[in-house]
Amino acid sequence: MKKILKRIYMILILFLLYAPIATLIVLSFNSSKSRAKWGGFTLDWYSSLFQNNEIMEAFYTTLLVALLAAAIATLIGTLAAIGIHAMGKKARTIFTGITNIPMLNSEIVMGVSLMLLFIILRIRLGFSTILLAHITFDIPYVILNVLPKMKQTDRNVYEAALDLGATPFYAFRKTILPDIMPGISSGFLLSFTMSLDDFVITYFTKGPGVDTLSTKIYSEVRKGIKPEIYALSTILFVSVMLLLLLINLAPSKESPKELEKDSRYLAKTGHRRIFTRHMVIGRLVPGLLIVVLAAGGIYYGGKTTAAGQNQVIVYNWGEYIDPDVLTQFEEETGIHVIYEEYETNEIMYPKIKAGAVAYDCVCPSDYMIQKMIDNDLLQKIDFDNVPNIKNIGEIYEKASQAFDPTNEYSIPYCWGTMGILYNTKMVDEPVTSWKILWDSKYKDSILMQDSVRDAFCVALKYLGYSANTTNMQELQEAKDLLIAQKPLVQAYVIDQVRDKMIGNEAALGVIYSGEAIYTARENPDLAYVVPDEGSNVWFDSWVIPKNAPHKENAEKFLNFLCRPDIALKNFEYITYSTPNVAAQQLIEDPDIRDSQVAFPDDATLERCETYSYLGADAEEIYNDLWNEVKSS
Amino acid sequence: MENKRLKWLAAPYGVWAAGFIIIPLLMIVIYAFTSQETGGFTLSNFGDVFTGEVMKALGLSLVLALISTLICILLAYPLAMILAGMKVSQKSFIVFIFILPMWMNFLLRTFAWQTLLEKNGVINTLLGALHLPKLEIINTPWAIVLGMVYNFLPFMILPIYNVLIKLDQDVLNAARDLGANSFQTFWKVTFPLSLPGVISGVTMVFIPSLTTFVISDLLGGGKILLIGNMIEQEFKQLNNWNVGSAMSMILLIFVIVSMVIEAKYDKTGEGTAL
Amino acid sequence: MKNKLIDLVNITKSYDGVTILDDLNLYIRENEFLTLLGPSGCGKTTTLRIMGGFEHPDSGKVLFDGKDITELPPNKRQLNTVFQKYALFPHMSVAENIAFGLKIRNKPQAYINDKIRYALKLVNMDGAENRYPASLSGGQQQRVAIARAIVNEPKVLLLDEPLGALDLKLRQDMQYELMRLKNELGITFVYVTHDQEEALTMSDTIVVMNQGYIQQVGTPEDIYNEPQNAFVADFIGDSNILDGRMIQDKLVEILGVKFPCVDTGFGENRPVDVVIRPEDVELVKPEDGQLTGRVTSLIFKGVHYEMEVRANGFDWLVHSTRLQEVGSEVGITVDPFNIQIMNKPESTDEEAVPVGE
Repeated sequence: MKKILKRIYMILILFLLYAPIATLIVLSFNSSKSRAKWGGFTLDWYSSLFQNNEIMEAFYTTLLVALLAAAIATLIGTLAAIGIHAMGKKARTIFTGITNIPMLNSEIVMGVSLMLLFIILRIRLGFSTILLAHITFDIPYVILNVLPKMKQTDRNVYEAALDLGATPFYAFRKTILPDIMPGISSGFLLSFTMSLDDFVITYFTKGPGVDTLSTKIYSEVRKGIKPEIYALSTILFVSVMLLLLLINLAPSKESPKELEKDSRYLAKTGHRRIFTRHMVIGRLVPGLLIVVLAAGGIYYGGKTTAAGQNQVIVYNWGEYIDPDVLTQFEEETGIHVIYEEYETNEIMYPKIKAGAVAYDCVCPSDYMIQKMIDNDLLQKIDFDNVPNIKNIGEIYEKASQAFDPTNEYSIPYCWGTMGILYNTKMVDEPVTSWKILWDSKYKDSILMQDSVRDAFCVALKYLGYSANTTNMQELQEAKDLLIAQKPLVQAYVIDQVRDKMIGNEAALGVIYSGEAIYTARENPDLAYVVPDEGSNVWFDSWVIPKNAPHKENAEKFLNFLCRPDIALKNFEYITYSTPNVAAQQLIEDPDIRDSQVAFPDDATLERCETYSYLGADAEEIYNDLWNEVKSS
Repeated sequence: MENKRLKWLAAPYGVWAAGFIIIPLLMIVIYAFTSQETGGFTLSNFGDVFTGEVMKALGLSLVLALISTLICILLAYPLAMILAGMKVSQKSFIVFIFILPMWMNFLLRTFAWQTLLEKNGVINTLLGALHLPKLEIINTPWAIVLGMVYNFLPFMILPIYNVLIKLDQDVLNAARDLGANSFQTFWKVTFPLSLPGVISGVTMVFIPSLTTFVISDLLGGGKILLIGNMIEQEFKQLNNWNVGSAMSMILLIFVIVSMVIEAKYDKTGEGTAL
Repeated sequence: MKNKLIDLVNITKSYDGVTILDDLNLYIRENEFLTLLGPSGCGKTTTLRIMGGFEHPDSGKVLFDGKDITELPPNKRQLNTVFQKYALFPHMSVAENIAFGLKIRNKPQAYINDKIRYALKLVNMDGAENRYPASLSGGQQQRVAIARAIVNEPKVLLLDEPLGALDLKLRQDMQYELMRLKNELGITFVYVTHDQEEALTMSDTIVVMNQGYIQQVGTPEDIYNEPQNAFVADFIGDSNILDGRMIQDKLVEILGVKFPCVDTGFGENRPVDVVIRPEDVELVKPEDGQLTGRVTSLIFKGVHYEMEVRANGFDWLVHSTRLQEVGSEVGITVDPFNIQIMNKPESTDEEAVPVGE
């Protein structure tokens, strides 16, 4: 009875631990791109995984960082352990105390502190800073694994070796090293694992174009994960499981019960077990790693070195370009594209401002462009190098003057409106007003945008105020309204509105018009409306930061994007309205070419306003008020 | 004589630790007391920290971290006891099974809970099929607690397990021999002797729970701000490193307290190693 | 005849298919100092642990005062154990350790305090109440462990190699202390050891065990002087064990030489084991010896010389107070009373002889 209870308890906990893993493995075989529904079994993600350069590069970076960091940490840590062992009590206490700091410190504090250090030292955030950070948190694991083994070593043996005429180094290699070897290898393995799984510290110390699997996943988690990631994780998990099973189980399988009686046999299998472990840890694992790294290195190294310094660093919204366009650009021009994504203007801005990271072209929204111009972060585009600018419709150029008065800094890329996406099966009444987002009937079925301006725009417009107001009275009202709305809101999300609406997780969601076209394709019950009170019309335009290292390449890239065929390709991929008139005319499907969602009529546009930059003080007020909402 | 020279092998690490552990922490302190505008000394960053929202976030983080830690102890202790009581031949396999999940990326594992917990997610579909009431904890603090427990449970199991397997069985036998029943033996002997493992587990669960921003981000639906989210915002979005540093310093206090406690109970410094 | 206090009946125990005890029968009388003696792995500790209730026999019964206690958990048994490595509670002071059992039984505090003082005095540890086990030496921990056990006034004290971790001098002192304690307390001691000297010094009864079987039960004198088989003879003290042939009653042939002896009933022309203690081998002039040999080594042992004499192809171990130079030729004689004849076991597994008493 007791035994059964124990079994049940263990199985329950195992279920808790493995349920998410099983889910991920199942998702890796799901042919539907949306994780919310099962679309049948497929192996496609496994094959497309190896064609997905972004993921494979992130994977390769992860392995390389983990291996290098673990190797360097093992060297420094082992030396340190020997040194600490030889120290007096006081020095030893100080050193072990310091060693404990990274182990017990909160990851976020450590990540932040290293980021501050690198920025002050003007070390550009990138691969090297990730590596330095990883070595730093790896060393303590090595020390803590080697030190106990050092304590077990017999000094007399070492001294006997010296006595017999060995040099100190030879004596060390022959007497102490074999004793502490298990500690060194487990320290290495532990470091490797820790590095592999780290997210927080990498997140704070990474730069543009460098992603580890973790940071890649984090940015994808917010906008819907690519199923290839599930496939890769499944492969990783299964291979680690097999490897560990091999190490843990192989010897015990070879010793049948009746033979265990014989103690001599046990001693022998014991030996074999150590031998097998030694083989696996000492030879197989490093061997495999070297093969993987060498292959990855040749593959990806070949690609990067071919491109050399001829590159362009692009910083764009998530899911905001057709990957084929990038490949095509690389093929046509031979310029290597380093591509990085962000989720909100607010995340992008400090990176540009800090200057620790230099991008060649960025695609901010209207008000943010104004702010960047005001803060002197942008340089004028040389339009002689961008002849394709002629394809951009004049009305869009004109509208852009609201934030770029001289049209000298920006090239419109996408535009659209913000409105309500609703599920016609769950919402019976006609949706015409923002008011419906405060209807308690839809409690827990409302998705709001997790960004300051968009959230406030909804409330301000509902109240009949301007979305650019700085009137404290009006803002307080909007804040109170948002706080009142919070209990009804299922979640504040950004790009996830799309997936959740497709999966029938919510009835109403605030979303940009471009997403509406895509979602309607996936789930015909979804409809999009710009409420009568008006909304935001927005522009995302390309700009070139002041510190862009490859300005000419940036202009080539922008010129390429303005080509009608390319703009069309992008439009079909991201489904956000394009300001490229030449491309608009190329759209074949009349439903889309004349779609009210994609290209709303003038009356709708008149009700909408663009965001303008309100100045640092107003921005702080908005942020503080938003924090009040979020923490209410 | 050999000792004097061997000691210097720790020098590279000494330099490294100074450069990448000590100085960065000092950096946080300096930033926390520096004004963003003037660059001069100020206490105003702390003024921004001791506001309603930040204190609320800190309070919520403390409460959730405490609850998670407690649940972890309650779940992990019996499990560690069961594991420690198993036959030697099964042990390595069983322990392996409890560590294995840590090899799946932790963001993905946590994210998978969204799929499981959603309104129309896997669990609710199953419950619905069984005509049971739906489980509606996604985007609530409880989902975050679940995420914390899920992620940090192994860090509680392992230290307790490590202490329990090292317990001298004869000490427990002695208690039985002197008349204690199994319950008394547990409370008077087993539990007090396993405290170092529990303490070690507590510090390894409490601090990460207190400071996480990922779990609240993934399972809180953006509705719940923890102190970790506040710090992340200051550094990554609002670009106010000084206030962010001031908040980090508050967390640092908790870290130091936990280090002191840990040092008191774990004199060998080995308990924290996995 | 004192009555049987503990009676082990047909006890069998095995671990992972390895048999540790096979159909063991043994009883312990009230007020006896009984020692289980044998090499490691012989099953002596398992036997003790079965009495204490820490192991459950696969089959067989444990009777205590005539009542079956096989299924009783340790805390319900009127026995207390002193463990091999003392097993003191490291998180409790000496006083708390000693008070443990009394507190469990809800004894009044005043009674507990008296008992602690009494027990510490008994084991010569007065004033150590507030110290912690980690600050005590091995011998002191041992005394606390004993004090902790005896305050509960058990009818039987089980001691599992309690002196094993102590150095020689301390061990000898503790042997006398244990004997004194036993006399003062007037309770039954069951003692496990692999040290034959310890067993011979302290015990009323010695049980020699090997490979899960009882080899011989008897007083120290019986065991030493009349070993019932080669194993016992070899294990207890030094001895010369020779292959012999019983020619007829009172005459045995060893190494081709006929020796008169006192044993009868072994039949005629039967192979036997012959045991002769080294102090019983007398060295005489070559011409006076039953056989002659040459001294091959000589060590001074304090009380006597230890010599090896090669005679008729056998190295005789000889203890003598009279020195013979290495290389000198000597004669060997043995008193018929000092020749111990034993049946040869038919196979190693049956080295165990079923024993009555």
